[in-house]
Amino acid sequence: MSAVLNGVRKVGAYTYFAGACMRSAFTHGVPWDRVVSESYKVGVRSFPVLFTMALFVGSNLAIQGYAAFSTLGAGSLVGMFVALAGVREVCPLLAATMVAAKAGTEMAAQLAVMRTKEQIDAIEVMAIDPRSELVVPSIIAVMITLPALTVFTIFVSLVSAMAVAVLQLGVDQGEFLSFLVGYLSAYDLFAATLKSVVFGAIIATVSGYFGFYSERGARGVGEATNRAVVTMCIVIITLNFALTSLLYG
Amino acid sequence: MLLSSLATALLAPLDTLGRFGRFGARVLALLPSKAWSLRETTTHAGTLTGRCLIPVCATIFPFGAVIGVQGMAIFDLFSAHRLLSSLLSLVIIRELAPVLAAVLVAAQGGASFAAELGAMRIKEELDATAVMGVDPIGWHVVPRVLAMTLVVPLLTTLANAMGVLGGYVVAVGMYDQDHGVFVHHMAQLVGMYDLMASAGKGAVFGLLVGLISTFRGYHASGGAEGVGQAVNDTVVYSVMFILVVNYQMSSLLFGGAGG
Repeated sequence: MSAVLNGVRKVGAYTYFAGACMRSAFTHGVPWDRVVSESYKVGVRSFPVLFTMALFVGSNLAIQGYAAFSTLGAGSLVGMFVALAGVREVCPLLAATMVAAKAGTEMAAQLAVMRTKEQIDAIEVMAIDPRSELVVPSIIAVMITLPALTVFTIFVSLVSAMAVAVLQLGVDQGEFLSFLVGYLSAYDLFAATLKSVVFGAIIATVSGYFGFYSERGARGVGEATNRAVVTMCIVIITLNFALTSLLYG
Repeated sequence: MLLSSLATALLAPLDTLGRFGRFGARVLALLPSKAWSLRETTTHAGTLTGRCLIPVCATIFPFGAVIGVQGMAIFDLFSAHRLLSSLLSLVIIRELAPVLAAVLVAAQGGASFAAELGAMRIKEELDATAVMGVDPIGWHVVPRVLAMTLVVPLLTTLANAMGVLGGYVVAVGMYDQDHGVFVHHMAQLVGMYDLMASAGKGAVFGLLVGLISTFRGYHASGGAEGVGQAVNDTVVYSVMFILVVNYQMSSLLFGGAGG
């Protein structure tokens, strides 16, 4: 019972934190130069990791899709499979997970270290809202960069899927492309981008929350980072189901 | 000047990789010895299972449900709804369950291993262990790696069931597919071999995550930031290596052309 109450209390505290961030964005204004530098950090630092992962995920999609459809004697349908599975589900999730794992944990650890070193308290003492200075720029930055990274992930994984399908599995290139373009619509791209904006908001606020309210000390920093990653993963994947039902159900 | 900085940038990852290899070799070399205790291993395995059980179930279930929703939409085009459960169990068992279980264990258990060992390193507890004549790698690292290698396959097997259940709830509960049709086609494309391969993948991923997290924690430096950095690196490298190794293992276990 107390565990349930504790969970509810944490959800409430998180909601209050997210609301306070939003309010301070409107009342205190947004430090736009920090938004730019944060976007650079999130976007460019995640770029090489995301590129590598998109390559492997795209080729894996092609191999498994081919395995599934060749039992029906329709191996060339792999183009459709890659387009639908990749663009609608896998790429937004992949980009979100990677940004959560890299930029999100970095943010949580950074805030937790500032909490440990009493820098957050120092900012507060100077009558500056630490949320508007430290958290709000990251929220906006992740919400801008994650959709861009998602589109990039989609492109790379589609190209690598096509390379595997054509070169390794022997699917005809024209067939692959015609199925890919035939089943993909602008709505799918729009939905993927929309999903990633929501995921971006979740990543930034959750990692901000855990970092901002972390325990002091080395153990506290590690724990805050740890909890942030797990919570982000669960929330993103659960939310993905809700968004998919909403957008395609 | 430019050339030398380029060389450093290229050599640094190789250096880390080499130290990681040596660390892994030291851990494996200690396995036949009496430096590690079985009780420590089972304790770690117990806490690890307890901490990761809910996250793994809470992610693979919605994943199965999403495949249910999208699969229903796709197979509607061919009016071949009966294929849903065969493809669902194929994708879940061969790919998603091992990868997702390992990623979640890396995020939850691996990160906490890195944080624990990192904090021990910062507080010089690891040095104290060594001073007492106990090998810190044997006492602190080997049980954690072993626990990880044991727990991930178990959680993978559970994730197999939860993922298929997620698809079942959507297909039978929301889209009114017949229960018998779903169950009959479920095991059409997969067999015992796939379940074993799935658990085998889990074991390899577990070993990988265990080594990466303990390596990062064991070599943490620089105070509280160092611990945060170790946790961060653990998650990023674990996820990256899981996906890369997954591609190799899929090609190896299920045939190059995916047969």
